Amino acid sequence: VTSGHHEPHMKDVEAHVAAVESDLEYFRTKRLEPRVFVLVRRGVLSFDDLLRAAADVPRLTVEKEQPEGEARIRALEERLDSFIRDVACVSLTQLASGRIVIDDVRKERGDYDPYLRIAKRAHEGPLEQRIEQLERQLADSAHLVKVLRHALLATGEVTKERLDDQRRAVEGQGHRNGARIVARAWVDPQFKRRLITTGREAVRELGIPPGRLGRLGVAENTDDFHHVVVCTLCSCYPHDLLGNPPWWYRSDEYKQRIVEDPRGTLRDMFGLDLPLDQQVMVHDSTSDVRWMVLPKRPPGTDGMSEEQLAQLITAESLVGTAEALTPSRSPGRSS
Amino acid sequence: MAPAAGDDETEPRFSVGEWVRVLEVEPTGNPRTPNYVRGQVGQVTASHGVVDNPLDHRDPYPPLYTVVFEAGKVFDRRSTDLVSVDLHEEWLERAAPAWHQEG
Repeated sequence: VTSGHHEPHMKDVEAHVAAVESDLEYFRTKRLEPRVFVLVRRGVLSFDDLLRAAADVPRLTVEKEQPEGEARIRALEERLDSFIRDVACVSLTQLASGRIVIDDVRKERGDYDPYLRIAKRAHEGPLEQRIEQLERQLADSAHLVKVLRHALLATGEVTKERLDDQRRAVEGQGHRNGARIVARAWVDPQFKRRLITTGREAVRELGIPPGRLGRLGVAENTDDFHHVVVCTLCSCYPHDLLGNPPWWYRSDEYKQRIVEDPRGTLRDMFGLDLPLDQQVMVHDSTSDVRWMVLPKRPPGTDGMSEEQLAQLITAESLVGTAEALTPSRSPGRSS
Repeated sequence: MAPAAGDDETEPRFSVGEWVRVLEVEPTGNPRTPNYVRGQVGQVTASHGVVDNPLDHRDPYPPLYTVVFEAGKVFDRRSTDLVSVDLHEEWLERAAPAWHQEG
């Protein structure tokens, strides 16, 4: 039984909470806090700069009245999403002082030396307590990222225009490009072949920059095969090309379950019950080959324009945990 | 395991359709091989050649392959699902086809 395209993976609330916990810890310890350390270490910002900024930036308090049940979890997920976008928005490598390069953050976060890794927090206790704790922790980290942004502006390391540009770039990274690529492949078999064989080169035809994060692997879903993508070692994805994967893509829960029991996980976590004669194949992505799924074109879409078809493609369908929407289930977008 | 004869390290040693076993001993170099396929036998389904990776600051990696494994065998459960993993040549040795293995 499938429901609307946002609903299917809400079956197991605990799994959702665990995913937000691990995601928050990942972004806090790997993306945000190491960046703060690097900036301080390189003399780009001082702790005083940060403290001064903290005094200027109002702190969002956790509201007393939280929505109940699933709505509360969804609110948490949305705040996490917005936090992740905010982190991406301040992750600038070209600063006025020119004193930072990408590799600094990799070193700082302990990619090469476990000693430098920032400790992750344990999340224990009853679910209710974990949710409250997460709400506080998300508010804390969201505050830190705003403080960092403010300090970078106040010290003249970045301009408002540069930050706005960055935000536009980050927010334009939805799965829209992925949707356009798939829609073109559905209507143009020649393009589809070029996409499967030459990968990134082919997307230039759509005016989409091919990016440079390794090869693009394209796994085409057919009546005989259903493909699904994971990255068990980290969270590799062709995000420079397709935008970010759905939030749970980085969760340990998904990584472990999908690879051990692909068919069962698609059914239990995502409500996708595949026919037994359709073989399921999981692609464990690495940074060298990053996989996308080319979903099957749904029935009842004859005569639809490329733009209309693109509306049927969700971020989930590009990972293979859902099929493309059928026209009646697509988000009603009045034209 | 030393590369086979032939000094060009960029020349792929395996071809599509061949069976390979993933080494269990960690070779020096690229660590990107999931634990669960170590020691497992799979079939090469694609050969990507030498892929250079702009994110790491290492020498070019040995040739890269897509290798497909049976999930049922790897995780010792009833399953007809397949798991496809991209692996570098330094991790692979030639093997007998999976249906000759005791599993």
